[in-house]
Amino acid sequence: MIETAALALLCLGWFLFFAGTVGILRMPDVYTRLHTAGKLDTLGSFALLLGLAVLQSRSLTLPDILVSLKIMLVLVFVSVANPTATHALVDAGLRSGLEPWMRSPAAPGPAPREELP
Amino acid sequence: MRTLTLVALTLTAAFLFRAALDFPAWGDPASPAGLHVSRFFIERSYDDARTPNLVTATLADYRSYDTMFETVVVFCAALACFFIIRAAREACVANVFHYRHAPTGLVLTLRRGCPLPRLRGRFEQIDSEWTPRSVILETVSRGMIPFLQLFAIYVLAHGHYSPGGGFQAGVIFGASYILLAVSHDLRTLTDHVAERTMHLLAAAGVSLYVGIGALALWAGMQFMDYGWMTLAFGMDGPGAHSLGILLVELGVALTVCASLTTIFKLVSSEGTIMEGL
Repeated sequence: MIETAALALLCLGWFLFFAGTVGILRMPDVYTRLHTAGKLDTLGSFALLLGLAVLQSRSLTLPDILVSLKIMLVLVFVSVANPTATHALVDAGLRSGLEPWMRSPAAPGPAPREELP
Repeated sequence: MRTLTLVALTLTAAFLFRAALDFPAWGDPASPAGLHVSRFFIERSYDDARTPNLVTATLADYRSYDTMFETVVVFCAALACFFIIRAAREACVANVFHYRHAPTGLVLTLRRGCPLPRLRGRFEQIDSEWTPRSVILETVSRGMIPFLQLFAIYVLAHGHYSPGGGFQAGVIFGASYILLAVSHDLRTLTDHVAERTMHLLAAAGVSLYVGIGALALWAGMQFMDYGWMTLAFGMDGPGAHSLGILLVELGVALTVCASLTTIFKLVSSEGTIMEGL
């Protein structure tokens, strides 16, 4: 039962990371790429680490539960640091004058792609 | 000068490649390391140093002479960086200082004056490429830095049992200082830990390492034999080696942390340590 739940969480994490990677490759500019990377990678690592913690603590012995707690600490750290880093990157992009990608009404079609810095 | 450097580099590379030819083949079971050295380490390390982590025992006890000079290399990197790009304090390279009046947003620019005036009131010194302080970044980093430093100490102290040790702990501790400088500004870092303190810490780490080894000479043992602590502290042999490993790793951590922070400060501020990044 516990293993099934852990497996489901791991698969969810794998799917979210996959979707995030597809987003990074397919999105047109820095901001939209950071949008997918920031959200999906955070949630993906959240699900992966939670799955690992659940899998580790299935024996319900003290050492295993302690390892699970350490994994949970990593989880908290990632879920605080990752959105902040994304915020800092977007902030730096806006301040340095990088225009967000827009589909202009006059000329439909994608604007010239901007390379990642 | 450039030609001389090029010649020296080419010669060194040639010697290194020539020396690499004499190495045993990759994964050769008949190489000296595979015949008896590894087995000796694997069988004896716990009884000798009471350290379950074989890597730590090998690195800081059996091969501590090697690790000592690795620490010296890190120290020399910071020292070289200092001598090459640190500008003299009297030269006052930036020479333009900006003060921002917080309530009005008015910016005063001073074009001279090396003893920086301490402006009273609600003035703050700002970088020439000023960006407003980001509350999110400052709050999150202020919350994270203590935990980073705690984790660094954990990695240092737990190196006997799990992956970790002096180099890793020093890097994590140095990263916490760099995070402080990046999320606030460089002056915040130099206000917390003065440049002089950093340099002294880097030197203290190397001195601690060499001192631990040299005290063995005073006790009539070989250099880097931690067995002298059995005489000094009245502990058994393996316990003394375990303590010696911890002290040596502490020296490594001090040097790595201080050198890393110093290199970051110098490179990001072009040697002035006034403003940067």
